[in-house]
Amino acid sequence: MSGSKPDILWSPHHADRYVICDSELGLYRIGPVGSGETKAGALPLSVETAATLLAINSDTPYMKCVAWYPKHEPECLLAVGQANGRVVLTSLGQSHNSKCKELMGKEFVPKHARQCNTLAWNPVDSNWLAAGLDKHRADFSVLIWDISSKFSPEASVAAEKIRLSSGDTDSGLVVTKPLYELGQNDACLSLCWLPRDQKLLLAGMHRNLAIFDLRNTSQKTFVNTKAIQGVTVDPHFPDRVASFFEGQVAIWDLRKFEKPVLTLTEQPKPLTKVAWCPTRMGLLATLTRDSNIIRLYDMQHTPTPIGDETEPTIIERSVQPSNSLIGSFAWHPTSQNRMVVVSAANRAMTDFTVFERISLAWSSTTSLMWACGRHLYECAEEAGVGGEGTVEKDIATKMRQRAQSRYGHDMVQVWKNHLLAGGDDPQLKSLWYTLFFMKQYTEDMEQKQQGSKQALVYSGIKNIVKSSSGTTENRRCWSGSDRQTDVPRFHSEERSLALRLCGWINRGPDINVEPFLRSLEGEGEWERAAAVALFNLDIRRAIQILNKGASAERGDLNLNVVAMALSGYTDEKSSLWREMCSSLRLQLKNPYLCVMFAFLTSELGTYDGVLYESSVAVTDRVAFACMFLNDAQLPRYMEKLTSEMKEVGNLEGILLTGLTKDGVDLMESYVDRTGDVQTASFCMLKGSPGEVVKDPRVQCWIENYRNLLDAWRFWHKRAEFDIHRSKLDPSSKPLAQVFVSCNFCGKSISYSCSAMPHQGRGFSQYGVSGSPTKSKVTSCPGCRKPLPRCALCLMNMGTPVSNCPGTGHGTGKSGEKVDLTRENKLAQFNNWFTWCHNCRHGGHAGHILSWFRDHTECPVSACTCKCMQLDTTGNLVPSDSH
Amino acid sequence: MDLHILDHRLRVTSICKNGLVNFTHPLIKLIFLRNRARCKFFSLTETPENYTVVLDEEGFKELQPSEHLLVESSVWLPLNVVSNGNSSSSSQAVGVTKIAKSVIAPLAQQHVSVFMLSTYQTDFILVREKDLAVVINTLEEEFNIYREVGGEYSAVLSQDVRNGFQKNGKEAPQLTVHPLLIPQNQFCVMSLDPDTLPAIATTLIDVLFYSNSPKEGALPSQDLDCIKFFSFSLIDGYVSLVMDTEAQRQFPADLLFTSSSRELWRMVRIGGQPLGFDECGIVAQISQPLADNDISAYYISTFSFDHALVPEEDIVSVTEMLQQHRKEPAC
Repeated sequence: MSGSKPDILWSPHHADRYVICDSELGLYRIGPVGSGETKAGALPLSVETAATLLAINSDTPYMKCVAWYPKHEPECLLAVGQANGRVVLTSLGQSHNSKCKELMGKEFVPKHARQCNTLAWNPVDSNWLAAGLDKHRADFSVLIWDISSKFSPEASVAAEKIRLSSGDTDSGLVVTKPLYELGQNDACLSLCWLPRDQKLLLAGMHRNLAIFDLRNTSQKTFVNTKAIQGVTVDPHFPDRVASFFEGQVAIWDLRKFEKPVLTLTEQPKPLTKVAWCPTRMGLLATLTRDSNIIRLYDMQHTPTPIGDETEPTIIERSVQPSNSLIGSFAWHPTSQNRMVVVSAANRAMTDFTVFERISLAWSSTTSLMWACGRHLYECAEEAGVGGEGTVEKDIATKMRQRAQSRYGHDMVQVWKNHLLAGGDDPQLKSLWYTLFFMKQYTEDMEQKQQGSKQALVYSGIKNIVKSSSGTTENRRCWSGSDRQTDVPRFHSEERSLALRLCGWINRGPDINVEPFLRSLEGEGEWERAAAVALFNLDIRRAIQILNKGASAERGDLNLNVVAMALSGYTDEKSSLWREMCSSLRLQLKNPYLCVMFAFLTSELGTYDGVLYESSVAVTDRVAFACMFLNDAQLPRYMEKLTSEMKEVGNLEGILLTGLTKDGVDLMESYVDRTGDVQTASFCMLKGSPGEVVKDPRVQCWIENYRNLLDAWRFWHKRAEFDIHRSKLDPSSKPLAQVFVSCNFCGKSISYSCSAMPHQGRGFSQYGVSGSPTKSKVTSCPGCRKPLPRCALCLMNMGTPVSNCPGTGHGTGKSGEKVDLTRENKLAQFNNWFTWCHNCRHGGHAGHILSWFRDHTECPVSACTCKCMQLDTTGNLVPSDSH
Repeated sequence: MDLHILDHRLRVTSICKNGLVNFTHPLIKLIFLRNRARCKFFSLTETPENYTVVLDEEGFKELQPSEHLLVESSVWLPLNVVSNGNSSSSSQAVGVTKIAKSVIAPLAQQHVSVFMLSTYQTDFILVREKDLAVVINTLEEEFNIYREVGGEYSAVLSQDVRNGFQKNGKEAPQLTVHPLLIPQNQFCVMSLDPDTLPAIATTLIDVLFYSNSPKEGALPSQDLDCIKFFSFSLIDGYVSLVMDTEAQRQFPADLLFTSSSRELWRMVRIGGQPLGFDECGIVAQISQPLADNDISAYYISTFSFDHALVPEEDIVSVTEMLQQHRKEPAC
């Protein structure tokens, strides 16, 4: 503060007042911009606030430091430390009859003049004022003055020896006898009273930090350090102190005072001020010389599962309150994260609030939380079901619900998976039906022992029709009508297969869509049924379906009108019917009705109105194409449709691509669009030869889905998924990672290990087999020596397990019977081996679990290992019921 | 009590009166431009004989070798006694007196030559670097010894320096009794806020470099009633000034710091012939009797002579005591 370098002090009791001190003292009041009382002569501090100068005091020259009296009364009493070591009491903006009148101008004079570096009022006994002075060979550097002491008569006896300058003695306002004198022959650069006790004073002395205890002044605690400037106690943590030296800040813990607990990264320029934020825990602001930024250090202790001896994490950032170089700053005592900054040059002030860091966390379920300042915000998905205008649920919520309903696990009636998924997603419906038809077809083939087409089925219709050969063309008349049509229809084995995969026809050589039509009627999809009937050239059936639809419950009567229009069909090229239909059909809302007329009014061999009507299900369009496009048109259309599907990630396109690399590409854009790794994982696992499963993208989806299940603590679901996966993709079975070997012979005690050709059969291998010779389960099958004892029950370990582990269980083929035997084969979990990887003690899983419900330390006496705490997930419970 | 070995390597030099003109530039730089000259330890004392300049090696680089510049060949290290706050002594005496028995006398016995430099803030005991092992060995019983390296103090144990340890010669102490001179002028010891140094710059330059002008012609050394003595030091950012009351009147009163009692000091100059740097026990000779009588003192060694400052009111008793002392020298 020497010369022009300013400093700021907030009033301890008036949240709107502060003092700026440079060569003089200026008292300001801060208020909102433009409010009546602040209007005249107000200095804008920010967009919203302005300051008014209330008073100026220039009575005290050579100011070195200032401290504001901490009590309410008298308000605005300031102690000023001067360059010659004198401390003067003064005030600002007080009326003359105020309480502090007798204190005004009181001076405290040290025996030997030298600079006063720092002042600190005792926060409890507010009569005490500590002053830190420079070094003198014979004098003390820390003087504690009692501001209430009078110019004592004893001292005036010696007055003739003390040649005080004239005038001083007259006023009777000079005190020369301090209450305490500390730090002889030393210099004091900074001071603060410790909140622990009103008689503890922390001082930054020349090359050491010292704690003086006024109850016993001959004793002091000290530590040698260079960081002795600007000592300041963390208002939220009375044992934490910051001090600095040149560019380096040291953080001290007074309980462990030998060395700093932390030193912050060194700044290239010397620091001028370091201050803890009074409204925010662990936030330290620092300012260096000739700088326009304030650097903030956010020190947060985060609890860790292992011990608490960790250093706090420090987040460092800078704020720039204004463009000019900063002279000083001061945190507002109560307003959150707010400070006033004064520029180095022209006493320009800025009111500035440090924006709080926002920390944000996604939960593993869909909710999102963020914290800013003292506010915690949660953003959760609306729980409301149905209702008007409810937004679509987040994919994570959907996946979670689907996982709980065992989505993807129906391996027999594969199509049912779309119902498990909620049954409201047409793309999923199409996907699972496609997969179902593919599976059905391959199973048929197995029965017929015709492997030729099997590989082809999963490669999608696009590839199937590519290999089409021997296409025949015929022209059929409209069934139930004598009229001849000139619409050519194409047939081949591959086209039939494609129609089957589209679900239009069942197995068998003849093309009979009647079962399909009936199922559509059953589901009330009248328009679609009518369209399918029409595409099969059965216009009468189509009309019949529409009539049925119109008369059905809640049926659309307009369907009758459509049926009427349909019945008027004529192939006369220039008829009025044709002209009206081709123009009016576009006004039909239902795409199927629309394509029906498109089909009837189309020119020969060009069915673009049907093929490119995107509202029509892909299966229907593909089936239509397979019937009415020739060998040249069909692959082109398939190619075009496939790339369109891949582009948008439409799962209906899996029908075309199959589970090939193309399919993975399509799925990739689907996952990119939706994030639904669950469907992607289950779908791709169905890819039979396993080529697609090896695709790194597929592996990535699978791993992500597993992680997701783990994050939801759906551990049973994850295990189920792993089992499901290992059935479809045997290469994914994990290798055994843990073996238990006998202490005596060193052989693995698990019988099954050597017996099983493929490893990873759950945990059953950790059990000990009851061997055919009926050796005890608690002894090693190799050498028959006893196995280790459980640390709790002191019984030898060992679990009975099947001696014929080779028979597959749980493939679902033999149903309940297998499950029954499985119960017997797997040892009770309670008897399983378990042990701590750290201290290597262990026992029966059940015993160990119940021990750690009440204890933190290992059950073995004299072992202090906190085994369970080492397992970060050990105390969590799965959130899915098994 | 702690003894600090400070991180300065000092040279003791002397500029003869006629040669001062050659050195005004570096001296002004060292005094007023402390940010430009990286000198951390600077002391300039004017005596009737010459100017004694004690400075660290950074500062020494500023002084050009010249026939007017005499340089003592050794490197000197400053020691500083820190009372550590536990001063149990009720003695009001300070300065050399306080350390006479604990530091000065033992070092004299071990034939370690010391160069004293008292300032407003503290007392520096300069010893030759080569004597450091002896010093540590001698003083480690009485003091916790710390050596300052790069601003941090680390404890020194005598084992660490045993390698270089040689006892100085054990020959019988020469009890040279030096003549004393007690000039009439009164001195004051003062300090100054380094930031206000520019405010007194012209006065300071005037006093330091042009003090002889008014009395030109008269040999100052002959005027022994009133000795010319002025000392300025700037050490680790602290300013210390020693001047007589006549010089003090030239400075603005409100800028210089002194004790509130405005105490004044009288000088005792030791030595008739230049003392040299090798003789031991000179400081002890003076400080012992002062310590016995609990009288405060400043002690400033210069290139030629030593100077003790004692409180004005004690000068009579000091004079008597010292006269007495040299009649029956201490054993």
